[in-house]
Amino acid sequence: MDATLTVVLYSSLAAATAALGVLPLKSGRKPPLRMIGWANALASGLMMGVAYALISSGLDSGAPAAGVGAVLGIGFVYLTHRATGTLELELNRLDDPRPEYGYQVILLNALHAAHEGIAIGVAMSMSLSFGILMALALAIHNIPEATILGAVVMNRGLRLRNAALLAVAANVNQILLAVVTFALVSAAPSLLPWALGFAVGALLYLVLVELLPESYREAGHTSIALVTVVAMGMVVLLRDRAG
Amino acid sequence: MNPVVVVLIYSTMTALATGLGALPFLFVNTMSTRAVSYANALAAGLMMGASFGLVAEGTGYGASQTVAGGVLGVLFILATQRWLGNHEVEFGGLRGAGARQMALMIVVMTVHSFSEGVAVGVSFGGGTALAAVITIAIAVHNIPEGLAISAVMRPRGQSVLKCAGWSIFSSLPQPLMAVPAFLLVETVRPVLPYGLGFAAGAMVFMVLVELLPEAYDQGPRPVVGALASGSIIGMVLFQHYL
Repeated sequence: MDATLTVVLYSSLAAATAALGVLPLKSGRKPPLRMIGWANALASGLMMGVAYALISSGLDSGAPAAGVGAVLGIGFVYLTHRATGTLELELNRLDDPRPEYGYQVILLNALHAAHEGIAIGVAMSMSLSFGILMALALAIHNIPEATILGAVVMNRGLRLRNAALLAVAANVNQILLAVVTFALVSAAPSLLPWALGFAVGALLYLVLVELLPESYREAGHTSIALVTVVAMGMVVLLRDRAG
Repeated sequence: MNPVVVVLIYSTMTALATGLGALPFLFVNTMSTRAVSYANALAAGLMMGASFGLVAEGTGYGASQTVAGGVLGVLFILATQRWLGNHEVEFGGLRGAGARQMALMIVVMTVHSFSEGVAVGVSFGGGTALAAVITIAIAVHNIPEGLAISAVMRPRGQSVLKCAGWSIFSSLPQPLMAVPAFLLVETVRPVLPYGLGFAAGAMVFMVLVELLPEAYDQGPRPVVGALASGSIIGMVLFQHYL
């Protein structure tokens, strides 16, 4: 299959899984917060593992550029959150009555999706199996994210089907940025260490600023730490198998 | 020099570094919880970055063995935590709730140091370049540990000298464990990936179960996370150039 088509296919798949996230909300049930915590921990471990895999096999392509790229990645994600007023936004304040909270949650999901798209694009240009692993990790991350989004917008009167559509729509820019990043790095391979560093920085920031702190609040420290470390171990094994 | 002596000296230095954590209390009587949180975040990032190096090294010998070792490392921390939870922790000469908190702090920190000692010893078996990195990482990690111990003890009327002393005590298992761990790695080469995985698993799990949750509790999330991310990157680059 054409490489670009693979990128489109897997990033679309990752975006589409967001629709699954609203399913637990069927018949007006409360979102299962502990399950969301564990799912987030699973995604955190996979993303952290992929960040490890990216940086440890990618440093040879240019260590200073990768390092500067990583710092830029951390700074860029920080600044986009700061500029949009989502820096300390709590994602699971489901009872928050303010109308703007709903928009902020949608905005945050869209921002995450953008950074994740870059990560998929970079991982794909390292190797397709890396990229597929990355897309899989992000697909898993998109499900609990969509559960929260769904709960927030359904509290504001949206119906289940529309909530599912909105969740997928918020993730569509992931496909676009994955393809653009992949195309850019393929056309200009000297960009790879920069893009790789940027993706690693963005991934670490998402895990350490957004996902893990939330997970710790949703389930116990020990269970979150266990799920995360097991997921990291899985990536180490999978990476070995993928060569 | 005899490598056993080198390991002993290096790991004793990491233990002594813990005492440095008491020094800020010469100048202040109380310390902002934020500063302790940032120290935790920094330590978490450095340990995570160091573990990346351990895993990369271990998978060179065998990925499954490294992961199996990692599982053992995680189980070790879990078992230790459970043991502490099931036993009445007593601390000689101290009474009351404050005394119990201090004793618990010291016991938890001391038990941590066993796996850290194994990490130091094993890392010397994995090559001297990595060993220096791990030694620095653990020494730096020990400072906020000493800081944390002192932050509990100092407000409860203990002298700075006592804070430093107990901080160093909490890290003494490092040299004690480092030498046998080093000898085990040297003599039984095939155990190395297990040992590296054990150290990485124990360190990553400690970061995830202790340091990060504590850091998030006491400091703003974006700063804690950015600091931890940055120190992972810094540590990985440091290892790359060393």
